[in-house]
Amino acid sequence: MPKAFDISNPPFDRLTPNEAETLRAALDIAYFSPGEAIIRRDASAEALYVVIKGIIEERSEVDLLALLGPKDTFDSRALVHDHSGHQFFARDETLCYVIPRKVALDLIKANPRFAAFFYREISQKLDELANDEEARRYGSLMHAKVGELFLHPPVFLAASDTIETAGHLMREINSNALFVRDGERIGIVTGMNLSKAVVLGRQSIQTAVGTLANYDIVSLQRDDFVSSALLLMTKHNKRRLAVREGEEFVGILEEIDLLGFLAGSAQVTAGRIDRASSRQDLATAAREIETQTRVLRRQGVKVEVIAEIVSDLNRRLLSRLFDMVAPAELRTGSCLIVMGSEGRGEQTVRTDQDNGLILAGPVQGEVLEAFRHEFFVALESFGFPPCPGDIMVRNPAWSRPLSDYLADLRRWIVLPDQAAHMNVAIIYDAQAIAGDPQLLDDAKTALIDMTRGEQTFMAHFARAVDAFETPIGLFNNLITSEGTGDALDLKKGGIFPIVHGVRSLALGQGLRETSTDKRISRLCDLGVLQADFGRDLKQAFRFLLMLRLDGQLAASAGASGTLVRPAHLSSMERHLLRDALQVVKKFREIVGHHFKLGMF
Amino acid sequence: MLPRAIKRLLHQATLSDQSYRFMFGRAPDDEFVVIDCETTGLNVRTDDVVAIAAIKIRGNRILTSARFEAIIHPDRELGAEAIRIHHLRKSDVEAAPIVWKVLPSLLHFIGPRPLIGYYVDFDIAMLDKYILPLVGIELPNERIEVSRLYYDRKYGDAPPNTSVDLSFAAILRDLCIPPLGQHDAFNDALMTAMMFVQLRDLTERGVRIPRQRSSPVFNPTGA
Repeated sequence: MPKAFDISNPPFDRLTPNEAETLRAALDIAYFSPGEAIIRRDASAEALYVVIKGIIEERSEVDLLALLGPKDTFDSRALVHDHSGHQFFARDETLCYVIPRKVALDLIKANPRFAAFFYREISQKLDELANDEEARRYGSLMHAKVGELFLHPPVFLAASDTIETAGHLMREINSNALFVRDGERIGIVTGMNLSKAVVLGRQSIQTAVGTLANYDIVSLQRDDFVSSALLLMTKHNKRRLAVREGEEFVGILEEIDLLGFLAGSAQVTAGRIDRASSRQDLATAAREIETQTRVLRRQGVKVEVIAEIVSDLNRRLLSRLFDMVAPAELRTGSCLIVMGSEGRGEQTVRTDQDNGLILAGPVQGEVLEAFRHEFFVALESFGFPPCPGDIMVRNPAWSRPLSDYLADLRRWIVLPDQAAHMNVAIIYDAQAIAGDPQLLDDAKTALIDMTRGEQTFMAHFARAVDAFETPIGLFNNLITSEGTGDALDLKKGGIFPIVHGVRSLALGQGLRETSTDKRISRLCDLGVLQADFGRDLKQAFRFLLMLRLDGQLAASAGASGTLVRPAHLSSMERHLLRDALQVVKKFREIVGHHFKLGMF
Repeated sequence: MLPRAIKRLLHQATLSDQSYRFMFGRAPDDEFVVIDCETTGLNVRTDDVVAIAAIKIRGNRILTSARFEAIIHPDRELGAEAIRIHHLRKSDVEAAPIVWKVLPSLLHFIGPRPLIGYYVDFDIAMLDKYILPLVGIELPNERIEVSRLYYDRKYGDAPPNTSVDLSFAAILRDLCIPPLGQHDAFNDALMTAMMFVQLRDLTERGVRIPRQRSSPVFNPTGA
């Protein structure tokens, strides 16, 4: 019995102890020489294989579909359906566990959960993963560090300062608690202490705060766990804790912020944006949006919901900034639009500034120029980097009258050049967030009218789905476990083909939805996509977005291993990634067929 | 020391239990047995076998589903000191039944197949210590030494003064075999089997294992 066979590796973790023993007792190990065929095309598999070491190539005819590494299982189709359309080759010296066909099939018959892994459609598999993750992620929330929470600044008063001074200071720094230094002692005075003293105690507002402060403070370190903060508050019946770094006080943690962290506080941020009275307030809120993503992901919130929340917050932010910066004539006579992933509402981690302005009519040059500059600078100061393609309000090509856009649209469609397809895609995904939304609506109506029946243009437009090959690099990274820059590969090989294929089909049908998810639903309703396939496509898309989000979060934390990096994907995730990319491949074929891309 | 071929003839003649004549038969084509013993120490005369594992290999398949595994409980009261004093009597009386239980099935499992091991001579010498009094022979099987196969692939063409590392860990590393828990007879035998199938394939294809260009500095800890 190879005790070394890892029974915790999905799907084998679903076996009962007895079944696991049966499996182990039946295992052999096979060695394959480089280039050797393990499963031939359309041959039935005599066994299910689990890789011990080496790399396996999965090919269909000539295409390399995937590279499998240690702990990957193959090939369930060959086993269950008696033949596989795919061939499997050893790329280098390879060892695999061999689970005899009969044993595997018997286990599949006996254990429905195990069988589900092989039979069920991808969307259900993905749902199961999501459920498993939820438990794990909630646990990790409690293991966050206090330093990750929102802390009120450590501002000190002298014991002799008055209630009046304290009150003003509290409003100034937007905090309800201040430190009070009374000789050697350090205490905390709160807004409630002040109110009670004045209202109930009838004390003068010139009273020194030293007498009101509470010197029995409970403190903890910045790098303590969130769970210990919760424990301390409960144990000492405190509403707030002093946070130290070494001996120094670095902040005050309020109960409400701790609970907000555990429960998610998108609504708090939203409120902060709506109430913002200065660009400074907005900058604070912008920083909070950034942390929201991480918290929401930790809580196991589904990626599509995160994208919705984050997109909503970003739009509020831009809209509020627009109101502050734009002169009156622009506020009514123009439409601020966001484009790209932001327009589709699929943005999770802050990306570039992708925005534009549609003017109802000509605007005086200086006024417009001043706005362009100011809006750009403000966003940049909030941490939105400039768009490398210069698709921003700052660029005159993306902030001009509707009539100019319409003229260009016509030119792009009749005489497409390099950028034409991209520009059409950008406008088609755009969403109005401030000003007069009718302007964008007019532009889109015109766009849809112009493309109707333009089969050659649509075919060229859709062709970009084949711009990038199956992301072999990603799998290589998985296997060499030195993966960097994987986000790009995921985007090119999986996310982009889905987004663009769906966009092409949607434009062909003249749909007005912007999110990929909603477009897929509508395409299913219209019968352009089959309902089953639509569901798989959505799930695959969400899974790819989630992987990308995890990669982005890990990269921005500068940490390895705390969050999933492709090099550290579990074999379940790798399995799902393979499945998701299969869906992408099939989808490319559907798009190719729809637009008759075969003629190119 | 008699040459092994002559010894084999001699043992064929001295085989006391004729039911073990199959040991001298022809091995099935392309079949081997990997063997590993865990012992109480490294001295063949005074130390005991505490576990034996053997796995068949057929072609490129390691037949872990058909394996031989036995744990031999050494007599607790029989410490190292006691063995030295009561060597003959104790082993006659107390070790014999244990060996009887385990060895016949091991011998049937092995049959005439070549034996593969890592420093296989030691394991066989350990086993012969028990087998000789029982059956009247020592194991006549052909022996295949994986460290030798490894040496040929890696150091066969090495210039003189190349520092040679034939440690188990070094072989695992060069062949990229994931280390299983070591000093477990079955795991050791399994890793040895993995080494064998890969080294044999490398030999057949004439592929060499690259050596480090710069010779490593002497490491006094021996790691």
